[in-house]
Amino acid sequence: MTSPELVPLLPVQGRILDAQLHLLDRQVLDHDGVPVTTVDDLELSGPALGEEIPQGTPAPVLDALLTGPVLGTRIFGGRPPSSRLIRIHWKDVADVGVVVRLGVGGEGLDASWVERWVRDKIIARIPGGRHDPR
Amino acid sequence: MILGDLLGLPVLDSDGGRLGKAADIRFVLDGAPHQLMSDARMLGIVVSPHSAASFLGYERTNLTQPWPLAHLLRWRHRGSFLVLWEDIALIRKDAVKLRPGFTRYSPALEDLGRGR
Repeated sequence: MTSPELVPLLPVQGRILDAQLHLLDRQVLDHDGVPVTTVDDLELSGPALGEEIPQGTPAPVLDALLTGPVLGTRIFGGRPPSSRLIRIHWKDVADVGVVVRLGVGGEGLDASWVERWVRDKIIARIPGGRHDPR
Repeated sequence: MILGDLLGLPVLDSDGGRLGKAADIRFVLDGAPHQLMSDARMLGIVVSPHSAASFLGYERTNLTQPWPLAHLLRWRHRGSFLVLWEDIALIRKDAVKLRPGFTRYSPALEDLGRGR
C-alpha cells in the first residue's frame, strides 16, 4: 500500500478524519436520532484563496458542516453561492461515525426549515394532518 | 473557505510542476476542546497523481476485500501521498502550490489516530 519513498506520518494525538471518507455525504442525525440533512460541503476558517500562506501560519480548523440546494450543481457543476448554504456549527457535532450525530435538537436548526415549512403549511392543513395516525 | 473549492484542484510543486490533484483533505481532532468534540485542525491534503476524487479510500487502508474492487481502486490511486499544511505555500482558485522541499508522507490511515 505504501511506496517506499513515502515518509510514514508520526502518530498524532487525536482522531483522524478524512473529509471525503468520513464526513462528506454522511447523514446528519440530531440528538434524538432524527435525520436532519446530509453533509454537502464543509467550511474552513481559512486561508483566503490566492493569498500567500506565511510559514508558521496555524492550520485552519473546520468551522461548519454545510448543506443546501446542491442537486443542480452536483449534476451541472459548480456550487451554490456561499450565502445559500446552511451552516451547522462544528461545536454542535457530537460524534462522527457511519452517520454524523449532533448534540443539539434538529427543530431549531436552519437545515430542517423546509421540512418544518411543509409540515406547518401543507401537512397540517390536510384533515387529520395534525395528529398521529390511529 | 469552502472545502469543495479545494477538492480536485491540481497540486503543483514550487516550480509549477504538476504532482496530482487534491483527492481529500485530512483533519485531526486536536484543536481547542469544546463541550462535544475538539476543533478539527487541517492536517494536510491527500494528493492523487491519477485521479481527482477518492472513492472508498482503499489506498489509505489495508482492506483487500472484495479483491477485484480493492485492487482496481488501489491501482487507480497509486502514488497517492499526503502533504502537510506546513508545506502548502498558496491555495489559488485553480491550483494548490507547495513549498520548496515539501515532504511526501504516507496517506495510510492505520495506527495514526490515538484517543478520541
